[in-house]
Amino acid sequence: MKTGYPKAADNGLAGCHTCGRVAPISMGSCPRCGSALHLRKARSVQNTIALMVAAIALYIPSHLLPIMTVVELGDVTHNTIIGGMMRFWDTGAYPIAIVIFAASILIPLLKIVALSWLCAAASGRVHPSPTMLGRIYWFTELLGRWSMVDIFVVGILVSLVQLGNYMTITPGPGALAFAGVVMLTMFAAMSFEPRLLWDRLDELPADPSPNTTKPRS
Amino acid sequence: MSEEPQSPTPSAAAPEIRRAQRWNIVWVVPLVALLLGGWLLYRSFAAQGPEVRVGFDTADGILAGKTEVRCRSVKVGVVKDVKLADDLNSVVTHLEFDPDAEGLLREGTRFWVVKPRLSATEFSGVGTLITGAYIELDPGPEGGKKVTDFEGLETPPATNSGVPGLRLLLTAEEAGSLTIGAPVYYRGFEVGRIEGRELDQKGLKVIYNAFVREEYSALVTQNTRFWNTSGIDISAGADGFKVRTPSFQAMVSGGVSFGVTDGDEPGEPARNGSAFTLFHDEDAAQRSTFNPTLKFLLLFDQTVRGLDEKAPVEFRGITIGRVADISFDLAPGVRDTRIPVLIEIDPALMRPETAREMTTLDSVFLKEAVDKGLRASLKTGSLITGALYVDLDYYEDAMPALLGKAGEFTTVPTISKGFAQLEAKIDAIVDKIQALPIDKIMADVAIAAEEAKMTIAESRATLKEIEAAAATVRKTMEDPEFQELPAALRKSIAEMEKTVASIGPDGAMQSDTLRTLDELRASLRSLKAVTTTIDEKPNSILFGRESSGNPTPRAPRGGR
Repeated sequence: MKTGYPKAADNGLAGCHTCGRVAPISMGSCPRCGSALHLRKARSVQNTIALMVAAIALYIPSHLLPIMTVVELGDVTHNTIIGGMMRFWDTGAYPIAIVIFAASILIPLLKIVALSWLCAAASGRVHPSPTMLGRIYWFTELLGRWSMVDIFVVGILVSLVQLGNYMTITPGPGALAFAGVVMLTMFAAMSFEPRLLWDRLDELPADPSPNTTKPRS
Repeated sequence: MSEEPQSPTPSAAAPEIRRAQRWNIVWVVPLVALLLGGWLLYRSFAAQGPEVRVGFDTADGILAGKTEVRCRSVKVGVVKDVKLADDLNSVVTHLEFDPDAEGLLREGTRFWVVKPRLSATEFSGVGTLITGAYIELDPGPEGGKKVTDFEGLETPPATNSGVPGLRLLLTAEEAGSLTIGAPVYYRGFEVGRIEGRELDQKGLKVIYNAFVREEYSALVTQNTRFWNTSGIDISAGADGFKVRTPSFQAMVSGGVSFGVTDGDEPGEPARNGSAFTLFHDEDAAQRSTFNPTLKFLLLFDQTVRGLDEKAPVEFRGITIGRVADISFDLAPGVRDTRIPVLIEIDPALMRPETAREMTTLDSVFLKEAVDKGLRASLKTGSLITGALYVDLDYYEDAMPALLGKAGEFTTVPTISKGFAQLEAKIDAIVDKIQALPIDKIMADVAIAAEEAKMTIAESRATLKEIEAAAATVRKTMEDPEFQELPAALRKSIAEMEKTVASIGPDGAMQSDTLRTLDELRASLRSLKAVTTTIDEKPNSILFGRESSGNPTPRAPRGGR
């Protein structure tokens, strides 16, 4: 059973979620701050999956609905994320188009895919190498928040451009959905328990599969 | 899925073990997300109404995403997209409608672009100069099928299809200046409009769609005639000049009038879609009731210059027919140089009994008439235009003549009355000029001239006498005695000067006079003293003067 590193959990020790103190799980609650002690986050994978499903549910309307409504001299234009990106691309602003594409379309999608992959790994469905898992986890943690750039831009524009009849920008329903997508993916990433991956790592030698046996990096 | 690994722990303290709940509260989140996303999508798509395609010739003034679709100026949709049609000859616009405007998109719905239009008859859509063009929609008749493809109109329809009224078809030989939107008049009152026109290529006629408003639709009946009142109508005929001007608008855009010709029954009210002939002018419309059934041939032994086809045939001034044809083809013989004129007569224009006799027993009736002197003649209707008309009249003094027969037609004898009359009048004028006593006048003039000559001779003699008088005067002037007269005059003047000098200040007479005057003055002074004394003291004459003392000054009298 024990092939890798020794784990605190094996010794009945759990880290407090709140203050980080390591205490024996038998104590029930953290001796320092009084929070409940868990060896692992409860129902982590289920929570993550639920949040991701919610994110996917909002991802579709967020791209179909206008994120921003511009009223310019009585001229109403509805802008969707993809429409705005394509307009930038058509006008030759390729870098901006690429940034929008990456931050608004690709990253949320990749994050959902990556988290799904991690969930699958945590529940033992797939057995990727720990290195790859680590990189994927790092990626979801690091890049996920940059998706908020869109919402940030809409927020700034809406608050700045309120020039009455000349030009007014109001957020569209797409902005709500998109903000929901980004926040849900962030929560999903947070609710994921990476230590579950370690637990699975320990199970690996139990059924030796030559493809993925790379115990250490 | 993943249970917490309850690893066997060596610690004695019993850990609190909670059973994993079957139902995790976190699944509410995706449920809410799904509901929210679904609601957002539904709301967005529910806000989208139906979309239709409308074809136009050009997309002039139409902007995708901006141009509005309006029905009675209420916005019901927007142009979503404008594309060239597949055949590249027209454009297809995609119109997105508001959801509640779905009922407007039915069979018969018409679309047209409202943009500024400036023409003689129309001054519309000026507001779109600022707002930009928009597409106007006129919903089709109620209960029409739902349609998604339409063909747009290039020009706005004159009236909305929903406006109740009578819609008629007018067929005309040529379009003239009648345009779409031209008014339809009844006795000069506008009651409708021309809605459209097209060329019937089969029948080679122009077909107009006329619209008469409902409240006036009863005026249009089966026997109603329509005629064009476009432009100014000037016609010169045997009746003289005729100038007809319609309203200014009709003058520019053309117009249509209608009415029932005089003496005609109106008949049943016309129904929607009835077809009528559009006559070129009012006369044509009036003539259209002319139904000539009798034809006669007239052979004129004179020029028919000025006689037109359709020139009136009158009986003592009443029009009963018209000239149908003037052609040698109708001549009875090759050698005949008389001009054949075919006239047609409408018996309805005559007394009913006359008409009956004419039509049934024409030969007998006409024979009697000709015996009584009925003749046809050409008469000048207008001296200015020289137009002729055919006059039928009885002439007592006419040479006896008979009804003839030339081909299928009966010939009525003619008489050169018109020109003969004119000639006679000219003759009479010439006769009068000839009858004037010119010789006598000339003789009188000669006598007068003779008298004048004598007067001149007398005046010449008088002049001679004046001349003689002048000569005598001249002789007197030249006399030497007369010449010396100035010298004598001068001498007399010198003597007179001398006399005057003796009277002057240095003369003896002058000094004597001065001395005398001095003495007189002294006497007067003493006399003045005496009178003063008497004035002051009247008794001084008796008692002498009291004193020679100075007079006592006294205050002036009066309170001035």
